[in-house]
Amino acid sequence: MKRIRLDRISSQLLQTAPARPAAASGPTRICQTTRTSRLQAPLYCQRRWQSMTSESALEDIKFDEIAERPEQQELPLPSPPPERALYSAKLAALHARLSLSSKIPLQALARALIDPSADANPRFNNANLAFVGAALLQYHTSEMLLTQYPRLPMAIIFSAMKGYSGVAALHQIARAWGVEAADAPGEEVDPGLLQFSLDKASNVMNKWGYVRSESKEILKWKWRRGLSSRVMYDDAFGDMIEKQKQPKEGQPPEVSDENNTKLIFDDRLANANSNFVRAVIGAIYLYCGRESAKTFVKGHVLSRKLDLENLFEFKLPTRELARLCARENFDAPVARLLSETGRLSRTPVFVVGIYSGRDQLGEGSGPSLDAALISASIRTLKSWYLYSPGDVGVPSDTFADDAVRWKPAYVDIGEIIS
Amino acid sequence: MTIKALEKVSVGQNGIGAFILQCRKIDVHYCDYSGSSRGMNSFIKSQLSKFAASNPQIEFAVSPRPRKHPVLIGHYINGKQNSICVKNMDSLQILNKMQLLRNASGEKNKKLNKPVTSINDSVRGVWSPYHGTGMPV
Repeated sequence: MKRIRLDRISSQLLQTAPARPAAASGPTRICQTTRTSRLQAPLYCQRRWQSMTSESALEDIKFDEIAERPEQQELPLPSPPPERALYSAKLAALHARLSLSSKIPLQALARALIDPSADANPRFNNANLAFVGAALLQYHTSEMLLTQYPRLPMAIIFSAMKGYSGVAALHQIARAWGVEAADAPGEEVDPGLLQFSLDKASNVMNKWGYVRSESKEILKWKWRRGLSSRVMYDDAFGDMIEKQKQPKEGQPPEVSDENNTKLIFDDRLANANSNFVRAVIGAIYLYCGRESAKTFVKGHVLSRKLDLENLFEFKLPTRELARLCARENFDAPVARLLSETGRLSRTPVFVVGIYSGRDQLGEGSGPSLDAALISASIRTLKSWYLYSPGDVGVPSDTFADDAVRWKPAYVDIGEIIS
Repeated sequence: MTIKALEKVSVGQNGIGAFILQCRKIDVHYCDYSGSSRGMNSFIKSQLSKFAASNPQIEFAVSPRPRKHPVLIGHYINGKQNSICVKNMDSLQILNKMQLLRNASGEKNKKLNKPVTSINDSVRGVWSPYHGTGMPV
């Protein structure tokens, strides 16, 4: 039976006019006892009557918005109501610091700050916005990497995606924006603070990827998970998607349940911060459109510097280089000592160049002949893999109405295999 | 034969791409009783709202601090704070101090010995004794 709200029926308890007319929602049966005596009503009703005056208008609006959660009417809200966003100085300052367009309302930014672990209701948390933002972010990062570095190996592409738009990078970005976190989520928290909970579950932002049938064995027995299968099954960063154990209906997921580790992340603060960044991108897409979201991503995420050459780690670079030359029909690579000094001293330096016929492919130096050879092979392979045709356009440039015709991007044959 | 990938995080430089003002909050403390706060009180009445309107990125918190000198405290994104005591100052002098706080980053003042500070490699490369004409002995 629906709980009777006396404030909607009787105006003598209200000192300000309600936002909506009192008996607007259909027929209500008024019990004789509640009308006559407030003292006989349950205690939670009495508490609400005492704080009727200024919050009554807000409560009316909030009541319509939270019509789906009847059991929690008398409990405090898990997050501040959206109307409070207009009164937060922190939130307005954050909005201006990011130079967000005036098309994006403050309530949207406030919603972007609420993690699903703070408020599970999807109409009030940033889960949906963060999903859209994550998809856009991964799209723009991947198209930039693939057009600017067409020969990158898949493992490096995954790592570079993480380096630009993974959780750690987005966490740094959110901190650089001056986003502070509330100590604990709640209704009384300033709407300009990032709200998340350390013990409740948050959401996973995966647009692409499937749960493998052998995911349990991979985790438990450390089965091999090859790169080709990662392209098919895993998410945009090459990480495995684990099977989500659904919590029982109506109950929050148990933290102490060790089987329920899928929804819990290592670093909750980093996860909440990265969800906020994604949610901001999602909000910009929603209110300002595709081009503004792309400009924002380029300005805040892709303008950062990541040295791709530092991501490589080779196992047998000399063999790989020999296979590369064979595949490309170059002459077999030959290593030649270009110069050396201090061979019998404590600090020798050998400079080795790798030649294919008369052309030098690359050179490197090291403290011993073997080290110099390996260094030269690695540098040669990096110069192959990190080839860049320059800043050619990305596919999303063609979405504009006045775009020039798309010139096909360079597509590489693939990685070197034995 | 496989290539293993190491994980690294990208490095951001404020201003390349988007710019974020480093001053995120300024606390303005005044006193209704003490004489040293007269300039501050007139500053709050005359200059503060215009300054705050022209700097929407900064959160301003105005609060009384009874029987203490007036002070401006700037909070920065790197977590550091800078406070300036503005006792016995004129409202325009206080405005100057506030602009100082707004223009600062939270870092300590460092002496720059070199003309160029960069995270990029040098454009012309570093001299090597093993290449070119080398180092004749």
